[in-house]
Amino acid sequence: MKEINIAEQPWLSLKRTVKITIDGIRYRLFRATVTVAVIVVAVAFLMNILAESLIKRAVAADTRERSDNAQLNSNWSTKLTSTGSPESIVAELARLDASADVNVETRNFIRLPDDDFARLQSTARDVQYVLDFFDDLDYAKRRDLIKTAAGLEILDYLARPENFDTFKLGLDRYRMIRFEMDFDKLQKLIGQRADFRRTLADIIAKRHEANAKITAYLKAEYKDNPTLVNDADRLAMAMTDADGKFGDVIRSAGFNFDAKRIAPIVADQAKNQQFILRMKFSITGASNKTRQLLAQEANKIPSDINEAIMWDYLESASFAKRYIQVMQESGMDTASLTPELLVKLAKARKETAALARAKRLTMDSGKGFMGLGERLAYLLVVSFLVCGIGITNAMMMSVTERFTEIATLKCLGALDGFIMIMFVLESCIMGIVGGTIGAIIGAVIGTGRMMASFGVNFFAAIPVLDIFGGILISILLGTLLAAFAAVVPSFKAARLAPMEAMRVE
Amino acid sequence: MEETNRTAAGEKSAERRVIIRTVGLKKIYTMNNVTTEALRGVDMSIFQGEFISVMGPSGSGKSTFFNMIGALDSPSIGRVFIDEVDVAQLTAEELAFLRCHKIGYIFQSYNLIRYMTALENVTTPMAFGGVQPDEARERGMNILDLVGLKERWHHRPIEMSGGQQQRVAIARSLANDPSVLLCDEPTANLDLHTGQEILDILKRLNVEKGVTVICATHDHRMMNICDRLMWIRDGRIDRIANREDVHIEVGGIEGH
Repeated sequence: MKEINIAEQPWLSLKRTVKITIDGIRYRLFRATVTVAVIVVAVAFLMNILAESLIKRAVAADTRERSDNAQLNSNWSTKLTSTGSPESIVAELARLDASADVNVETRNFIRLPDDDFARLQSTARDVQYVLDFFDDLDYAKRRDLIKTAAGLEILDYLARPENFDTFKLGLDRYRMIRFEMDFDKLQKLIGQRADFRRTLADIIAKRHEANAKITAYLKAEYKDNPTLVNDADRLAMAMTDADGKFGDVIRSAGFNFDAKRIAPIVADQAKNQQFILRMKFSITGASNKTRQLLAQEANKIPSDINEAIMWDYLESASFAKRYIQVMQESGMDTASLTPELLVKLAKARKETAALARAKRLTMDSGKGFMGLGERLAYLLVVSFLVCGIGITNAMMMSVTERFTEIATLKCLGALDGFIMIMFVLESCIMGIVGGTIGAIIGAVIGTGRMMASFGVNFFAAIPVLDIFGGILISILLGTLLAAFAAVVPSFKAARLAPMEAMRVE
Repeated sequence: MEETNRTAAGEKSAERRVIIRTVGLKKIYTMNNVTTEALRGVDMSIFQGEFISVMGPSGSGKSTFFNMIGALDSPSIGRVFIDEVDVAQLTAEELAFLRCHKIGYIFQSYNLIRYMTALENVTTPMAFGGVQPDEARERGMNILDLVGLKERWHHRPIEMSGGQQQRVAIARSLANDPSVLLCDEPTANLDLHTGQEILDILKRLNVEKGVTVICATHDHRMMNICDRLMWIRDGRIDRIANREDVHIEVGGIEGH
């Protein structure tokens, strides 16, 4: 008979631990399935929201980029005819780099050296901070602090000592709002306001000069063209030549008009604009053949025909061909109109509509972690809490119904740590399984929903990598949640006295 | 009378090694301010290679005594020595080692792990003890052979009869070649015939392998095979007797 030499019990190998745990789960498959289902729901909810906000954010960025491009023509048209307000110039100076097109342009206009321009920008940033601070306040507080002053007037208002004191006292009262600039700096800024305004006025004057040059050119260029009745018409026509002679005129007036990248797009858009105008005129006559053709096609009365209906039908090439024929027969100008062009314009119009829609739908996106808003994050936390409690409950019952088994394992030499690991592992495995299923379900639902609301136009914008990242995060969170939820029950299991094994059920 | 018997047993086994010894064992349970003295001072020695039956009515403290000598619970007062090692001095890891290697437990309701096959049930204590899987498998099959269940190694408990389950449980208790088998009413859930089989196996192990068997039981057949009998009543040892002595009195006991 061997001697008793007491030693420390070794740890069971991980492989065996995993095997025992998985065998246990398989034996209690039904309960495990229910627990997994709880995790699936929570993780699917998480992933659904995550996927939706990721896609929304990507679509928002895509929309911004695409509509920035789509509006190049109208942006430049505005710029060539108006100077912008002092506040908009402050925003440009404060928010954009010195190398941004518009700032390079401004610098050219007022011919400032680098250092001075940097100082101007820094002042603009400070002013912008003050303006933003007041713009973010609600109406009552704003009124309390600066009455009705708005824009750069705020600085004038605060220049009066009694107003400045009211402002300071008001800030003391509203402890929740933080004005992060110190008062000396603000005073200094107020002191500089005259100089700053002069500079802004200078910029505006120079821009005005440049605009005047453009207008003068347009007047001279189109003086023989009676169809172009005002400056806007003339500009629209001239813009079709933005990649040619008119582009040179714009540049020589002092604008930073990129000949390579921007000019062709602007010219193209201006041309399309002209075509669109022409097409619009094709249905404006009181009674004409094109209108009748559309009415027939759309099964409507001719007076109901409008531009939107026209473009809807022009999406089909065969109809576009017939339409051009009818236009020709009615003696309208069809020069360089092709069915392909009309189809392209109709599609572009659709896309513009989709862009506008997407812009509206994504207005609230992009804030907080991974584009989640505060409210969604709150919902997620609640859903995870509920799920966590559910898992804890399931694991607690699993422990309770296995009292004898646990105690027996301890009689057979299991360490407390092994029992603990066994339960945490069980929960983790369910977390991984549930998390994976849930993440995939959530991603599919989220992507599907977003595709349904944005349309195929944004298929390319889906951030596939981000969504995969989101899936991984969801699985990880689901697993962590399950592991955390199992801590208390497994602690309880590990502390169970081995003599429970002796109890007869 | 009681004294005589204890002394007699002690003298008879004087030369044998003591495997389990209890000194002034007391256990007091306190629940809701009510204290219950489950054991009121038990001193006894169990010798190596002995087959001892522990008898006593429910609530006599028999189970508590079992938990103490099986290193499953610690006494309130007094000491338990298993092979001269004071159980109270051991750390949790050492206690796990002790339960794994030195004591085999056999339960009334078998307590096999439901999701493991017979072989896995037998090899689990070996795995806890650090035996390599291949070796464990071979040893497990040998032990299953010993209890006559080699053919059914891949069956799960639910696919086996009560007697077979108890045989697997015995095999499991033998996994790490323990010095002591602690059986808690091993035949209580079995019919007469199957119970006899289990008793035969236990006796065989006791004789052939020299394993110390401690059996809590109500089964009178146990008297035929055990070396000593011990009665516990009200938390105290009522009497200890050698089997030969009891045989003479069988007539008197049958009435119990």
